[in-house]
Amino acid sequence: MLQDILVTGLVNGGVYALLAIGFSLVFGVARIVNIAHTAFYMLAAYCFYTLLVTAKLNVVLAALIAIAAVTALAALCYRLVIEPVRSHESAVLIATIALGLIFQELMLVAFGGNFLGIPSAIDGVVSFLGVSIPYQRLLILVVAAAVLAATWVVLYRTRLGLAIRATANDLEVANLMGMDVNRVAMVAVALSVALAAIAGVVVAPVFVVDPLMWLAPLVTMLAIVVLGGLGSLKGSLLGALIIGYVEAITVFALPQGAFLKGAVALSIMVVVLLVRPEGLFGVAFEEER
Amino acid sequence: MLRSSLLAVVLVTAAPLSQAQSTLKIAILGPMAFVQGENHWAGAEMARDEINRGGGISVGGKRLPVELVRIDTNEIQSVPDATNAIERAITRDKADFLVGGFRSEAVLAMQEIAMDNKKIFLGAGAAHSKLGINVETNYDRYKYWFRVTPVKDADLVRQSFAALGEVAAQIRKQLGKDSPKVAILAEKAVWVEGIVAAAQKNLPAMKMEVLGLWQPSAVATDVTAELAAIDRAGADIVFTLLSGPVGIVVGRQMGERGMKAIAFGINVEAQKDAFWQATASKGNYVSTLETIAEVEITPKTVPFVRAFKARFKKSPTYNAGTYDAIMLLKEAIEKAETTDADKLVPVLEKTVFTGITGVIEFDKRHDPLWGPGKVPGLAVQWQDGEKVPFWPPQVKGTRPFKMPAPK
Amino acid sequence: MKNPLAFAARWAWVNLKNEVLVLPSRTLVAAWVLAVLLLPYAWPDPYVLRIVTLTCLFAIFAASWDLLAGYAGQVSFGHALFFGAGAYTSALASLKLGLSPWITVWLGAALAALAGLVVGFLCLRLRGAYLSLATLAFPLIATGVLFAFPGFSGGELGISGLRPVASTRVGNYYVAAIALLAAAFGLWKLADSKFGLVLHAIRDDEVAARASGINTPRYKLVVFTISAAVAGLAGALFAHYLRVAGPSALEVALSFQVVIWGVFGGVATIYGPVAAVFILYPLTEWLGSFKAVGELRLLAFAVIVLAVLLFMPRGITPWVRDKIEAKCQRCKQRNGAWRAQCRLCGAPLKELRAVRAG
Repeated sequence: MLQDILVTGLVNGGVYALLAIGFSLVFGVARIVNIAHTAFYMLAAYCFYTLLVTAKLNVVLAALIAIAAVTALAALCYRLVIEPVRSHESAVLIATIALGLIFQELMLVAFGGNFLGIPSAIDGVVSFLGVSIPYQRLLILVVAAAVLAATWVVLYRTRLGLAIRATANDLEVANLMGMDVNRVAMVAVALSVALAAIAGVVVAPVFVVDPLMWLAPLVTMLAIVVLGGLGSLKGSLLGALIIGYVEAITVFALPQGAFLKGAVALSIMVVVLLVRPEGLFGVAFEEER
Repeated sequence: MLRSSLLAVVLVTAAPLSQAQSTLKIAILGPMAFVQGENHWAGAEMARDEINRGGGISVGGKRLPVELVRIDTNEIQSVPDATNAIERAITRDKADFLVGGFRSEAVLAMQEIAMDNKKIFLGAGAAHSKLGINVETNYDRYKYWFRVTPVKDADLVRQSFAALGEVAAQIRKQLGKDSPKVAILAEKAVWVEGIVAAAQKNLPAMKMEVLGLWQPSAVATDVTAELAAIDRAGADIVFTLLSGPVGIVVGRQMGERGMKAIAFGINVEAQKDAFWQATASKGNYVSTLETIAEVEITPKTVPFVRAFKARFKKSPTYNAGTYDAIMLLKEAIEKAETTDADKLVPVLEKTVFTGITGVIEFDKRHDPLWGPGKVPGLAVQWQDGEKVPFWPPQVKGTRPFKMPAPK
Repeated sequence: MKNPLAFAARWAWVNLKNEVLVLPSRTLVAAWVLAVLLLPYAWPDPYVLRIVTLTCLFAIFAASWDLLAGYAGQVSFGHALFFGAGAYTSALASLKLGLSPWITVWLGAALAALAGLVVGFLCLRLRGAYLSLATLAFPLIATGVLFAFPGFSGGELGISGLRPVASTRVGNYYVAAIALLAAAFGLWKLADSKFGLVLHAIRDDEVAARASGINTPRYKLVVFTISAAVAGLAGALFAHYLRVAGPSALEVALSFQVVIWGVFGGVATIYGPVAAVFILYPLTEWLGSFKAVGELRLLAFAVIVLAVLLFMPRGITPWVRDKIEAKCQRCKQRNGAWRAQCRLCGAPLKELRAVRAG
């Protein structure tokens, strides 16, 4: 049973990490709590489904088109909807909630309320330490690791990354130093949604696709980023692993209480916040005005 | 001059009379954006067209055509929306009868409003016993409620054990063991409580070993942890009690893992045509109890299913039982020769109606009676992309249950 | 006193003329109060009555959120917890203890207040987005606990067969309407008082407020409790109106809905969210009743909210107020926008407005 927990926790943690990094990034840079983050994940899943199953495209091509399309859509939404109300924090919040609802309803109209299944990119299972892991889940782990590494490289080894980090650190000074803060924010949003889209393409095959699929991961993802500390990528990763393991332990230790795994994960988050109000690696935004 | 004034007099007196009742309005209540509401409406349309082709319902000498009112309750997403919708159906659209419903929490609230207005409400979706218990505890208020489909949750217990009993011999032979190991995988919901308790008691009596109980959430998107534990415990059968989307996840993830255990029980998602695609073709050998299939439960079943498939290009789910509801309502109205609710209730109570789901008779809780010769229910199994009915074996059209080849 | 009735009438008239009718916004509120009270006689359609009753209950809920989020800056994303706590408590008390709904709704409010105290305590050290997201967790944890004890809570079905508070349709309507008027006015008066001022201070700069000697944790606990109590009252009344108290009273969608209403109407106003509910809820219902739109009602709702927000980012009521009223630059009091001179200090309004617009 121990190896079940170890492996299941790791694999599920990887799934959550992929979703959490993007959200953390956009919050850290643009201070936007993007409630529609998982809605973009859902859009990517639906787009991928259409291209793969209905249009019967090659899996890699379908994935790339889906990711590109959703990222472009996000940039458009940002320009049309978020930018005009940037200065009003609460309006931004509502705007992202409204966007999420709009995407949900559009998918409901287009695809109906049915559950759809996306075939796995790689079929079959592998046995590791006596635990069966489907190849798709290993793919998710690999992609999550690659994406995390790539994000780290972009943030810490490129000029763009420098600009993003500077803006995240202190918006006003970055502006004074001549950086186009709006453009940086837009890039951060695009990057973040690209990560969500990658998650949608890679993760959706192991879950079910339906118009309400964005709500449950939203809550888990919010719990993770809060637990890890908003704006901290390291924190999101650690938070994802913690939540993944907590859920696995709940199910294995208490099979009749498996339905409680969400509630238990959230309780852990609350406990951590009591001890560290900014999450594990979060930075307290004292001077934000 | 005389003729035109006579005509005028006739028209003036006839006009209010014709407005009195020119059609029989039946409101179809369901979540119309989802498959359950679609089936509610489709079954109702089949009934309406059949009745109107025959000239309508004859009430006290007049023949009234049936007019359907499509009411989207949106009950899956919002219970107050459902109550607003039924209020609108009754007071605005002036519906004479109400048929449909799906989500038990919403139907309980809608039942209150229908009873307030003394309107006959025929249920075609919610299985919870409370709806019937209300009739028993407060007859005068709740007597206007009748559940046409599905059978109440307590009867599902009996149905699942009856089916399991038939299949058990086959399972024992294939597995070469006397006492197969069963893992109970039931979503966390009130309706499973009774069945789980019954299973834990009856399965050992049927010479099956109960390994344990796993209860994921009905909307869980991942059951790998549960399945890994079930695998480790060495289960041969996974007795499923699932009504939510978790049913799809179970089917798919069991198939992906190549688990040697076979899934049997109740899996509402597996009743839908879309299950195969939703599990990405991995949900093989998953079996579940069902209500309607293209087999001869009654002589009406097969023609109905074929006509439904031809018209709507998909198989009916149990929500298409609105067809039965409207047809038995027609029979009751014609027998009672009135549309008055209070006079119809005793007639409905004595109904013995041959419908598509079986022979419908109501008990004192206004629930349909379950059993062979009444509403027997079916069990189906997914075999290579096809939903094959395999139980009860005496029904014409059923085929054998298949086990995965031993590894 | 020669004639108390005449005195009261004269007092009412004087106040009406000098306090209410001088400002268009207050006149609107007075007209609205009148409309709410007279609705059953003007339009006795039971369907309309049902919609407006639910609107009143949701408006109480939205007003309670505004006190917490708008005034005190504690933007709660899990306000449905208090709504649901009130609903379930009142349901259980009336069913298991056999008490009359008139008593149990207050029990519901009391338990919700307790929940508010607990949540407030747990969130004392949290700021900004952390607070919002932490509050999101509580209703979900509560739902999990309720599912774990289905014999007690009814699991996914909830508790049904509740008695309504009043026995007639119109009676229930007036219960909701009077509750709304009392709650809205009470909260507005509270927000307008010194207490409200302190809340503003806490929202704007908690550190400075602490430095000024204000016991901010105590104020935060108090505002959580009050806000939760009012939300709980709304939840209890809602449960008795629907006759069912189920997990839908705790769902995330409801928490998000109240945030939308709050911001759409204009935060930190109390009347803003109330107006938002009165505009949006009947509008979406009405749109939903058209066959063509029917299943798209949520889409229409989200699009409307988004569109309006783009033009009025601070919310509807501040925008409307700015259009019909102007602020005197000298004495800072509001006047009808058409006036040439301030009604209180006589300073000219027009040229300053021209400067502002230019």
